Amino acid sequence: MKPTATTRRGFLGTTAALGALGLAPAWTTAAFAQTGGTLRLRIDGDNDVLDPGFMTGGIEIEAQKQCLPFLAQYVRDGDTFTWEPTYFVTRLEQRDATHIDFELTEGLTWSNGYGPVTAADVKFSYERMKDTDWSGYFEALDHVEVTGERTGTIVLSKPFAPFIMITLCHGPGAVLSEKAMADAGGEFTTQFPAVCGPYTYEATPGQRAVFSANPDWTGPAPAFDRVECNVISEVKAAERAFEAGELDCTEVGADTLARYAKDMPDGTGIAVAGELQYMWMGMNTEHPKLQDIRVRQAIQHAVDVDTILQGAYSGTTPRSHGIICPGLIGQRDSTGYGLDPDRSRALLAEAGVSGLELTLRTLNNQERMLAAQIIQSNLAAVGITVTVVPLDSGPFWEMGQESKGETWKDLELWLMRFGTTPDPYEATQWFTSDQVGVWNWERWTDEEFDRLYQEGINETDPQKRHDIYVRMQEIMENTGAYVWINHEPEAFVHSTDIVVNAAPSGELNYRRFEKA
Amino acid sequence: MLYYLTKRLGLSAAVIGLVVLVLFSLLHLIPGDPATIALGPRATPEAIARYAEKMHLDEPVWRQFLIYIGNALTGDLGLDVFSNRPVTAIIMERIGFTLALVCAGMGWAMLLGIPLGCLAAVKPGSWLDRVTGVLSVGTIAVPSFLVSIWALLIFAVQLRWLPAIGAGEPGQLGDQLSHLVLPAFAIGLSWVGYLARMVRASMLEVMGENYIRSARAFGLHPQRVIFGYALRVAILPTITLIGMGFGGMISSTVFAEIIFARPGIGKLIFDAVMARNFPIVQGAVLVATGLYILVVLFSDILIAWFDPRVRESL
Repeated sequence: MKPTATTRRGFLGTTAALGALGLAPAWTTAAFAQTGGTLRLRIDGDNDVLDPGFMTGGIEIEAQKQCLPFLAQYVRDGDTFTWEPTYFVTRLEQRDATHIDFELTEGLTWSNGYGPVTAADVKFSYERMKDTDWSGYFEALDHVEVTGERTGTIVLSKPFAPFIMITLCHGPGAVLSEKAMADAGGEFTTQFPAVCGPYTYEATPGQRAVFSANPDWTGPAPAFDRVECNVISEVKAAERAFEAGELDCTEVGADTLARYAKDMPDGTGIAVAGELQYMWMGMNTEHPKLQDIRVRQAIQHAVDVDTILQGAYSGTTPRSHGIICPGLIGQRDSTGYGLDPDRSRALLAEAGVSGLELTLRTLNNQERMLAAQIIQSNLAAVGITVTVVPLDSGPFWEMGQESKGETWKDLELWLMRFGTTPDPYEATQWFTSDQVGVWNWERWTDEEFDRLYQEGINETDPQKRHDIYVRMQEIMENTGAYVWINHEPEAFVHSTDIVVNAAPSGELNYRRFEKA
Repeated sequence: MLYYLTKRLGLSAAVIGLVVLVLFSLLHLIPGDPATIALGPRATPEAIARYAEKMHLDEPVWRQFLIYIGNALTGDLGLDVFSNRPVTAIIMERIGFTLALVCAGMGWAMLLGIPLGCLAAVKPGSWLDRVTGVLSVGTIAVPSFLVSIWALLIFAVQLRWLPAIGAGEPGQLGDQLSHLVLPAFAIGLSWVGYLARMVRASMLEVMGENYIRSARAFGLHPQRVIFGYALRVAILPTITLIGMGFGGMISSTVFAEIIFARPGIGKLIFDAVMARNFPIVQGAVLVATGLYILVVLFSDILIAWFDPRVRESL
C-alpha cells in the first residue's frame, strides 16, 4: 500500500486557493446587502400549509397577504386599531348587523390562467372555511350571496360585530380561486394553486421563501421588487444577522429591545406592531386554600408588578390592567387594587390564614421563571410560602382542563399568557361560564359576565362596546382571581431606510412596507 | 473479513432497532396527549382527531410500533405533521448541508491537527511542542457553540468579512463555500486540538520502536521516516477517533446550524422538537444514528485495511 503523496507546497497552495474562493463571495454579499429593490426579512420556520383553512398561522398569514386577495386590512386610527377596505375592493360596507356588501375591483386576475377574481371566489372561499380547522372564525357566517360578477353580500346568521376585524382582516379572510382549488383537489400545502397580489411565492425548505414581483399584477406596485425571507428559527440568531447587515428588519426579544432602546445603533429603528398578548397570574377560586376571596385579594395586593416588568421584561412591556390589550376597544387604564403589603397582611389576618403554602405553576422559559421568582419573593414578604413549579408546554396547557386529567383540582396559582386578535371579543370568550374547566381555569361564573359577552358581540357602537368590555374586566378582577401583569409587544428592529408594516398581532405585510 | 463485516452489520442493525424503540417510546412517555402537544393547546377536536388517525394514535402502542418499523424498513418515515410532506424527502433536502459542514469541519481539523501532532512529536519538549500543547488543550476546552457565537460576532457582525446566516445561494459554489467557513471553523476547532494530542501521543510511542530506529540507521530521509513509516502506524487510533468524531459532529452541528441559521439535520431536529413535530424528530434522529454507525463502521474497515495485524486477528 502506498502512502498518500501530499507535498507541503501542494497542501499550502490548495488551502490558499480554497480560502480565497471562500472569502471572495463574502465581499459580494456584503456589497449586495445595501442595494435597493430587495427586502430581506426573517421567518421563523417553513411555511408548511399555506391553505387558509388548515394553516398553523403566523408566517403563513404573511405569505397569504402577499399573494391572495383580502377584502379588509388593519389600520391604526390614533391609539386604536380599526379596519379599512383593501385595494381588492371598491366597496366594503356593513349594511346592517348581519349584512356586509362588497364590490371587487375590476381587472383583478388570478395567475396560471384562472381568469378574473369573482364574487363566486369569495363565496367559495368563505363558505368552505366553515368545514376547516379555522371554522371558528366563520361561525357567524350564514352564506355569501353573489349578486353580480364582482359584487356580493356576506350574510351572517346572527349579529357578530367583530367579523370584519377578526375574520376579514386576518388570515382566514383570504380569497382563493375556486377553479384553481378544484384543480388542486380542494386543498393545498406549500404552493398556492393561483395567486392574485403583488408577489409570487417560491420556497426552498429550511432556507428561505422568496416573493418576486407578480407579472400579472395590475394593482399598485409594492416598494420592493423582491422579498427574501430567511428561515431563522431563533430570535437571537436573527438579531445577530440584522447586526451583521444581512436583514433589513427582524423581530427582537425583550432584552434586545431594552438594549436598543437604551443605546440605539446608527441607522436603526424600532417598530412596535401591537401588544396583543395579555399575561396574568391566575388563582383557582375553588381550591380550598383560595376559596376565601380575602386570601385572593391579599395576593393581589402583595404582588409587585412593576418589579416584574423591570426584572423579567427589562421595562419593555406595558403594565396590564385587564385582558383587553392596548389599542383595543375596552382597554382599562387602571386596576382596583395596588401594591400594598400591609393591606395584604391585614386581609390574611382577617381571613384567619397563617403559614399559607401555595404552588405557582409556570411555563419553563426565562421571563416567566423570573416573574415567578419575583412573585415568590413578594408573597414571602406577607407570609405566604410559594413553590415555583416550572413545566414544559405539554403538561402546562393541559393542567386546567378537566378533559385532560385531574391536575385542575390541584391548581393553585399559575402564570398564564394568551394572545388575541384586535377585537375585545376574543379575549373575553375564554372566561364565560361554559369555559370553566376548559380555559377558565380560575373556575368562577357570573351571569352578568355571560350576558355582557353576548351584548358585546351584538353591539356595533364603539362607545357602548367599550363600556361593556370595561365592565367585564371589572367583574373578572372583583373575583380576586387575577393579578394583571403585562402586554408583551411584537417589536421589530429595522433599518431606518425602510418603514415597517405589521398587523397588530405581529404578522408583517411586505406589500405595505415602504422606503423611508 | 466477511465474518467481521457480518458481525458489525448485525450489531449496527441491533443498535438502530434499539434507537427506534427509544424514539418511539419517547413519544408516549412525554407527559400530555401527543396530538394536543403537537398541534397546540387551541387545536380543534377535528384537527386532533385527524392527527391521531394519521399517526395511528388510536391503535394499540405495540401495533403503532410495528407499523412504524415496517414503514421505516421500506424507507417510509411517515409524514410531517404540518405540511404532510414525506419525512424522508424533508431529511434528504437537509442532509447534504450537514454532511458538507461535517466534512469541512473535520477536514480542516485534520489538515491542521495531524501535521501539528507530528511536528510536536518529532521535537518533544521544544517551544513548538509546548505551544501546540497549550493551544490544543485550549481549543478542546472551548465548546463549539461558544466558538460559533464568537466567530459570528467577530467575523460577521463586527468585521463583516463573512456571511452570518444561511447556506448561500443554491447553485453558487463560491457563495455556498463562504457560508461554510464560519460554521466549519466553529465545529472543527476543538478537533484540531484532539487530533494534535492524539497524533502526538501515538507518534511518540511509534517513534521509539525498533523499526523506526532501523530506518533512521539506514539513513532514510527524516520526512520519509515520519510520514512514510511512523505516521502510517500512529494514525490508526486517530482513524478511530476521527470516525467517532464524524458521528459526534453530526450531533454538534445542531449549535452551528442554529446559530448560523443553516439548514441541516441538527436544525431540523431542533425545530421539530420545538414544534413537537414527532415524525420529523424520529426520522431525523434515526437517519443521524444510521450515519454515525456507518461512519464508525467505515473507520473500522479502514483500520483493517491499513493494518494487516487487525485483518489477521479477525
